[in-house]
Amino acid sequence: MGFKEAVEATPNLQGKWIAGLGALRREDKPHVKPEDTTTTRLRGSVYIDRALQAQDPHGNRWDFAIGYQHTNRSDEFIYWVETHTGSDSQISVMLRKLDWLKAWLKGDGKELAKFDKLYVWAPSGATSFTKGATQVKILATKGLHYSGSVFKIPKKHAIAKRN
Amino acid sequence: MPTLRIENLGQIREANLDFGDLTVLVGPQATGKSIALQLLKLMVDAGQVQEEMSRYGLDWSGSLPDFMDAYFGEGMHSIWNGEKSRVHWDDELMNLQQIAKRKRKPKAENLFFIPAQRVLALRDGWPRPFTDYTPGDPFAVREFSEKLRGLVEKEFSGESLFPQERRLKKAFRDLLERDVFSKYALKVDKVRSQKRLVLGTGQEGENLPYMVWSAGQREFVPLLLGFYWLMPPTKVSRRGEIEWVVLEELEMGLHPRAISVVLLLVFELLERGYRVCLSTHSSQVLDALWALKHLRENGASPNELLDVFEAPKSMYALAETVMTKTQKVYYFERSKGVAKDITDLDPNSKEKSESGWGGLSEFSGRANEAVARAVANSNK
Repeated sequence: MGFKEAVEATPNLQGKWIAGLGALRREDKPHVKPEDTTTTRLRGSVYIDRALQAQDPHGNRWDFAIGYQHTNRSDEFIYWVETHTGSDSQISVMLRKLDWLKAWLKGDGKELAKFDKLYVWAPSGATSFTKGATQVKILATKGLHYSGSVFKIPKKHAIAKRN
Repeated sequence: MPTLRIENLGQIREANLDFGDLTVLVGPQATGKSIALQLLKLMVDAGQVQEEMSRYGLDWSGSLPDFMDAYFGEGMHSIWNGEKSRVHWDDELMNLQQIAKRKRKPKAENLFFIPAQRVLALRDGWPRPFTDYTPGDPFAVREFSEKLRGLVEKEFSGESLFPQERRLKKAFRDLLERDVFSKYALKVDKVRSQKRLVLGTGQEGENLPYMVWSAGQREFVPLLLGFYWLMPPTKVSRRGEIEWVVLEELEMGLHPRAISVVLLLVFELLERGYRVCLSTHSSQVLDALWALKHLRENGASPNELLDVFEAPKSMYALAETVMTKTQKVYYFERSKGVAKDITDLDPNSKEKSESGWGGLSEFSGRANEAVARAVANSNK
């Protein structure tokens, strides 16, 4: 099952898959830059936050899922991207969002959980810490990659994978 | 703001440097940072450089290649690329051919240079004279070494060099004792008639000679002597007519806590009115500048800056002054040979060279990403 099929198989996400980065809001698009813009390696995107708003209005819902086919992998990969404002005080909010996402992936999102993934925080607005900061390391140990303002989706994944 | 514009000199294709009160150059090895700083010395002190070189028997016979080899070091004439190489100092086109050909009127030295190779300044625990080096060694190294020799011989005959009440404020002495020297004192010792610097515990016969010092102590002692030279034990705040200080790679051999103390000493130089230029490979230095910038912009209390350095409240006035100073940061980029202005140090910048602080935080970024990936995909 590819990314698109997995989205369609997920409760409350039917019909929410959009080609390319189409699910990203205009203000979020500058925060995600695929290195390879000339191919159709982008396998589509979903605006999770909006799609699940009615079902879970008070949850710390995650922003987006982006499916991507790297040149050195046979499987599709999911980038879970959040563009929440970046500041020290928001770290706990981000960790709550990550907890929400992980819990959702264990339940309704179980088809999407089968993909290899990277949780990414590409914050909008000003950031109050550096890429080498302890806060960023804390996030990393929770599985969350702080990319800085722009997350560049690499053409090749760091870990090649062939079935 | 003084400016130095360099085109086609060595690895540098283009560098437009505006100097703040504190200017920091970062970038990989062999990207031209040291060339830029040595060139700055030449621009500021051409007459003094010529006079010193002549005094110690260097004769370049008006030849630019010979002058370049004598000044920058053996083989460095190749960095000059004929008509393509251009240098502007404060918007004036400087003719290096003319500097090599015609002797300038000697004037008092305005720039003190602490080179990256400062560990070479001590041999067997005593500063080497200018003439102890080979003619192919860079002028900056030889001159620094000679300055230290003069300092130790004229101003410290038979005294303890550290701790030394007349040299640094007590707060600095306490920090150095805590983070660099521990229980040791730096003093002049004599073996028969030969003087040497040793680290002593205060117990008779328990002196550690130079060869058993730690790498950090060997690096730090010439640096300390450089600071002593710049901070004379008199009521005047600066030595002679020195206005500029260049300090290359202040972090060499030092633990981060010692680097913090050296940065505070750099702040002391700024408070004394020196204009300071650093080169560094330490992200800690840029962390400090980043904090300084934001504390300044947000009108924070100087106590916040002291907190960053775990410095005592007695340094409040120093922190207060430093927060009024201007700063510039440049990244010397290898592939294009340009120096980029990354003064904003914006971790959110779309320019990787700025968000990654000229490569100094890129490794941390990659390490963080690898860990995040591993945790996200773990079966645990």
